[in-house]
Amino acid sequence: MKLWEVFRFELAYQARSVRTGLYFAVLFLVAYLLTRNSIADSRNGGTLANSPSVIALATVICNVLWLLMASAVAGEAAARDAQTRMHPLLYTTPIGKAAYLGGRFLAALALNALILLMAPAGMLLAVLAPRVEPEVLGPFRPTAYVSAYMVIALSTACAATAIQFSLAALSRRSVTSYLGGVLLCLLSFAAGAVANLLHLSTLGKLLDPIHLFSNGLVARGWTPIEKDTRLIALEGPVLANALLWVGIATGVLVFTHRRFRFAHPSVERRRGVRHDAVATVSVGAAPVSLPRVQPTFGLMTRVLQTLGIAWTSFRAIAKSSAGLVLLAPIALLVGLLMPEFMNLGGVRLIPRTAQVVDLLTAPLAGSPQFPWALIPLLIIYYAGELVWRERDAGLNEIADATPAPEWVFFLGKFLGLSFVLVVWMALLAMAGVLGQMRMGYFGFELGLYLRTLFGLQLIEYLLFALLVFAVHAVVNQKQVGYLVAVLAYGFIAFAPRLGIEHRLLIYASDPGWTYTDIRGFGASLGPWVWFKLYWAAWALLLAVAATLLWARGTERSAPARLRSARARFTRPAAAVAATAVTLIVSAGGFIFYNTNVLHAYVTDAERMSHSAEYETRYKRYSGIPQPRLTATTLRVEIYPDRRAAEVHGVYRLVNDSAVAIESIHLATSAQVDTKLAKSAQVDTKAISFDRGSARVLDDEELGYRIYHLEQPLRPGETLQLTFDVSFEPHGFGNDGADASVVASGTYFTNVNWLPAIGYQRNRELNDPAVRRRYGLAARPYVPSLDDAQARRIRVGGDPIDFEAIVGTSVDQIAVAPGVLRRTWTEGERRYFHYVTEVPVNNQYGVFSAGYALHEAQWQPSTGSGPAVAIQIFHDPRHAVSLTRMVRAVRASLSYHTERFGPYPHNYIKLIENPTRGVGVHTEAATVEYGERFSLMNPGDGPQDQDPVFAVVAHGVARGWWGMQVAPAAVEGSGLLDRTLETYSAMRVVEETLGPEQLERYLHFMRVEGEARSRAVPPLLRATNSFAFSRRGPFALYALREYIGKEQVDDALQRLFEKYRSGTPPLPTSRELYRELQAVTPDEFRSLLHDLFEVNAYWEFELEQATAEQTAAGLWQVTLDVRARKVVVDESGVETEAPLDAWIEVGVFHEGEPYLQKHRIRSGKQTIVVTAPQKPTRAGIDPRHLLSALREVDGNSKAVRIKE
Amino acid sequence: MELCLRDVSKTYANGVRALDSVSLTIPAGMYGLLGPNGAGKSTLMRILATLQEADSGSATLGELDVLHQKVEVRKTLGYLPQEFGVYPKVNAEQLLEHFAVLKGMAERRARKGVVEALLRKTNLWEVRNQKLGGYSGGMRQRFGVAVALLGDPKLLIVDEPTAGLDPAERVRFLNLLSELGESSVVLLSTHIIEDVSELCTRMAIIDGGQILLETEPERAVDELRGRIWRRVIGREALAALAREHAVISTKLLAGRTVVHVHSHVSPGDGFEPTEPDLEDAYFCTLAGHLGRRRERQASGATP
Repeated sequence: MKLWEVFRFELAYQARSVRTGLYFAVLFLVAYLLTRNSIADSRNGGTLANSPSVIALATVICNVLWLLMASAVAGEAAARDAQTRMHPLLYTTPIGKAAYLGGRFLAALALNALILLMAPAGMLLAVLAPRVEPEVLGPFRPTAYVSAYMVIALSTACAATAIQFSLAALSRRSVTSYLGGVLLCLLSFAAGAVANLLHLSTLGKLLDPIHLFSNGLVARGWTPIEKDTRLIALEGPVLANALLWVGIATGVLVFTHRRFRFAHPSVERRRGVRHDAVATVSVGAAPVSLPRVQPTFGLMTRVLQTLGIAWTSFRAIAKSSAGLVLLAPIALLVGLLMPEFMNLGGVRLIPRTAQVVDLLTAPLAGSPQFPWALIPLLIIYYAGELVWRERDAGLNEIADATPAPEWVFFLGKFLGLSFVLVVWMALLAMAGVLGQMRMGYFGFELGLYLRTLFGLQLIEYLLFALLVFAVHAVVNQKQVGYLVAVLAYGFIAFAPRLGIEHRLLIYASDPGWTYTDIRGFGASLGPWVWFKLYWAAWALLLAVAATLLWARGTERSAPARLRSARARFTRPAAAVAATAVTLIVSAGGFIFYNTNVLHAYVTDAERMSHSAEYETRYKRYSGIPQPRLTATTLRVEIYPDRRAAEVHGVYRLVNDSAVAIESIHLATSAQVDTKLAKSAQVDTKAISFDRGSARVLDDEELGYRIYHLEQPLRPGETLQLTFDVSFEPHGFGNDGADASVVASGTYFTNVNWLPAIGYQRNRELNDPAVRRRYGLAARPYVPSLDDAQARRIRVGGDPIDFEAIVGTSVDQIAVAPGVLRRTWTEGERRYFHYVTEVPVNNQYGVFSAGYALHEAQWQPSTGSGPAVAIQIFHDPRHAVSLTRMVRAVRASLSYHTERFGPYPHNYIKLIENPTRGVGVHTEAATVEYGERFSLMNPGDGPQDQDPVFAVVAHGVARGWWGMQVAPAAVEGSGLLDRTLETYSAMRVVEETLGPEQLERYLHFMRVEGEARSRAVPPLLRATNSFAFSRRGPFALYALREYIGKEQVDDALQRLFEKYRSGTPPLPTSRELYRELQAVTPDEFRSLLHDLFEVNAYWEFELEQATAEQTAAGLWQVTLDVRARKVVVDESGVETEAPLDAWIEVGVFHEGEPYLQKHRIRSGKQTIVVTAPQKPTRAGIDPRHLLSALREVDGNSKAVRIKE
Repeated sequence: MELCLRDVSKTYANGVRALDSVSLTIPAGMYGLLGPNGAGKSTLMRILATLQEADSGSATLGELDVLHQKVEVRKTLGYLPQEFGVYPKVNAEQLLEHFAVLKGMAERRARKGVVEALLRKTNLWEVRNQKLGGYSGGMRQRFGVAVALLGDPKLLIVDEPTAGLDPAERVRFLNLLSELGESSVVLLSTHIIEDVSELCTRMAIIDGGQILLETEPERAVDELRGRIWRRVIGREALAALAREHAVISTKLLAGRTVVHVHSHVSPGDGFEPTEPDLEDAYFCTLAGHLGRRRERQASGATP
């Protein structure tokens, strides 16, 4: 009864407040907007807007926002009495603790459950609204909403409310519950990090209290059909998670019940320290005369006052439970976990400071990432606490009556928070240095730490902090202030998703900065500074507004505050505001001039429409005969200092068609952004032919030109095309400055800059749904395997002869395809003359940077052919893997020469490109790699894997697969280059480093390839890179383990012999398949079929393995296994196929393991194996030959020994 | 230096008329503002302390316009609100010094000196290093005085400072106030009559947002001399007595009721004359036997 009364009163009390109504409205609105967004996605070909997975995701996002509201609800219910000092009245009534706490908790929970109902309500309204076309919706299924609400929303609500309520009840401060919310977010992110770093996704799902992370993972492995239909059910990890968190919630509540006392909150009674507060009063003390001090109110005093407030604010935050106590361990943890972060697929990276600061910094805009999303949330919390500090302590009237102006309070508090952030940056820098030391690296670049953390990142946070201060000052209602601030953060983080892309409209945003050792900041700093200046001006204006509206005195009404604001709008305030406005207008104008005048500002939608326009206008020319490019000669002048370049080029074109060609179609750089031709700063000019011609079409906007030849180009005739292309940076765009040419680290490609012949299919839109939206005809992503026409077209186009003279500044090395003929200097410039002796792909890059050149040679052992020069162009500081790379190049060259034939070129170049990522990319005789790859530092022990070796070996293999055997540009083409390169790399690793290293390389590849959708085309028709680089090699590896590696090698050798000429008709995946079929015995034909022709997935589970010693002293091992094979089609329909195949069974003990193929059928079965030694582990398909891509490893287990 | 209020009015959004044309002239020295709960004392104090806006009227302190020159007023203002809190985790010396800075004491040595002197004066010197969260009510109140006294204020506003203090603390507190310089305007609002009678040279009585009496305590008492009669009765007789006489106050004394009535002539009936005190003046004013209410009644009776 008492419990009911407590419950009823509390619910009614909170339900009446305006704030609660606001929560209902906000959650409803957010759910509505999220679903409208999903509907837009759905129109573009995404998952159906009312599918369970979309509903679940929206529910999770709403939950995260709700956490904030929940902290107010729970905090209010738990701590209002203590904070309003009502507690003496309540605590002395004869209600029991259980009734009091229980009633309050249940009321908070009930209110939260009601608020959370707004999420499904908003989603439903968005779907039911008029003008939602039925195609984007699946059938209306109420269970989808109910299950998302029950399983996700309510289980989160229980746990979160219990934790937030308990924190507030025990601390007697409602704001502590906000910290509880932050804690839960942190825990969710941590669960995600654990799952990612340690590859324990089940554990992650289990631990995640708000499903933020685990839900994403669930959906990642789902097929499109599953996403549209599968309900989030209370089963497996989801059930375990719900049980775990309800259990934790109960435990927390029980603990709270035990610890809570109906007692006066004591302020200073911790850990036995007691302050005797009774003063000894010296009665009759001599009267003290007060010294007279004349107060001064000059600038000095104001500075002093500001600093005084800043210092007390800093102390208050730093010493609070969410202050340094929280921040220091996070920093320490980051430092200690550095080896985990500085890691690529299990291989350590050299923790150079550029990489470390990349880890330590995070832009405000863009999806929040762990753990840095915590910092804006903490800033919101700190700012709220500081703005409300006097009022929360009841000291506001005294402070308000002091002669300090409002701006002193505002600025002082802001500075106080700034000090906290400075300390945080210092902690982060220390964490970085600590992490580097832990990894045995001592080349700290303190200057770089200083510039990135205290320069770039700090300013980002400060701008945000100022916004939050202004929000709190203007809103003047603490909890609502928190809500508005979090919404503002959400807006900043997700603005592009809401369709707002221009950075002049997203507070504190900028085009981002990058730092690599080669480039430094490149061209990224200038635009950054301009945008930040612009936003700093806004921040200044916000500060003025906040000062004017700063709550002072006891007048709370809006008119009264406006009146006092008017009174405070003095001349200095007006001057500051005017300065801010001037800055906004001038910096904003300058930015606008850059982004929208110098650069064509295009949204994603416009970019797509340009591509569509290109296709609709010029597709009709796609089939017409055009001459073929056979040779390119370039004269390139790179001017790093002024970030400009000029290219003078000559193309030799040959008419190898059967008809005379009258007009030449050219694709040039486009003025507007289309999908590929992005750079409006590339100017194509002075196009001429060596015979009379007239320009009949010049579409500068889309980059399409047609020249009419006065004399048609007859079959077999040659035409020379001369052009000039110049690159000149015109300021910067919304995405920053074009970094093609920078002071050091220039990198551009012919695809982006130079003219191409004919209509360019790669400028078309690919996504089927997007194509439909722009009224374009449906077309396959790549031509069909059955397209006979396409079998004449080579992937990457026909090879060309190439020659270039590249000039750059005297301190840099320029690199282009070919052998270096000569290098010389002319004044302040240095020139490099490159010539290819064998044709190369018409896809190449030109580089210029302060490279160091590492050179070596390889001599073919048989004496069959010339020596090959090995050149590695690298940043002088990235030299750790050079010998490893050379070794890999030599091993790979030897292997392939021996097995398939000579290497076509007499050089191979490895070039470090100036990007931050791994970025390994291979063209003819050229392997490019990014900074992260150059920092990979595998150990030399027998246990260490060496992906650097494997990846380089893979790159070299392109000289045979892809260059000599050139696949036709149809489905499955990657099977002939990337898959065979990878398989060859596996063979090189096996032959050179031994089978154990091969095992490790396979493991490395498996780790990289977790959790993908199964709804993909079968390998023979595959189009995505994952299929070529992972599934293909795994399939070949599995096959060879069944039919023998010699057989596979023979098949590949025959394939090579047949197609090495590289002339049409070009080979496809079918030709590879045919060779494999030829070497596969009948019993494994069905396996081959399953691997390549259909999408078959094998699922094995070892339920238990037991062993018993026989009388003969041998061991009888019994495996209870379950097996299943499913075939998945492209849309995700799974069909179970009967399994009756030879599957490897393994028993592991000391010495050679038992590995034999057994006949396995679908369903449960028992396998008995005799082992000579006491077994330790056993498994079915233990080496993952067929189950390489299963996420959960249930294949093998430890063996239980029966006594 | 004089604080002059002319027709200061304030009506709250909920319609409560907290101040109704309040006009007062407050000279330097201690000035008591006496009134029951809800009389408008705190509203008036907050308006004078620049924390609230008046709807109309004016207030000047010497040359200063108190209602509009807030920034200037604050430079010479000391304010002790009726209720206030402290930062519990800071000690007295730190917080007092913080306020000293806020009050414009820029010079460090002088500021330290003032802080020490004030802590000694308010008898908090011994406990200056203790966290304020552990202070008792009286200590906290004295700390508030120390803050209010910072910067040698010309206008000191003290809102019901003795409510909730034990007798000894109250004495110490009043001693503190009484030491204040005669050059400042000290406005003390209270509903405890002794505070005024012990301290103030001038006073005003306020009720329902109106000033009922503005006088000197002794004069108010003098005026009543011979008009206050006292009688001790049983509790049950009070109702009948109140019908016949102008009862201004009743008080319990050892289980019996002491009744004071106002009358120009002896009411007889066992009443004996008694020496009036300020309390009688206060109740007479509220009951309309003294001050503006009487004048109004008189003028209302003879239009």
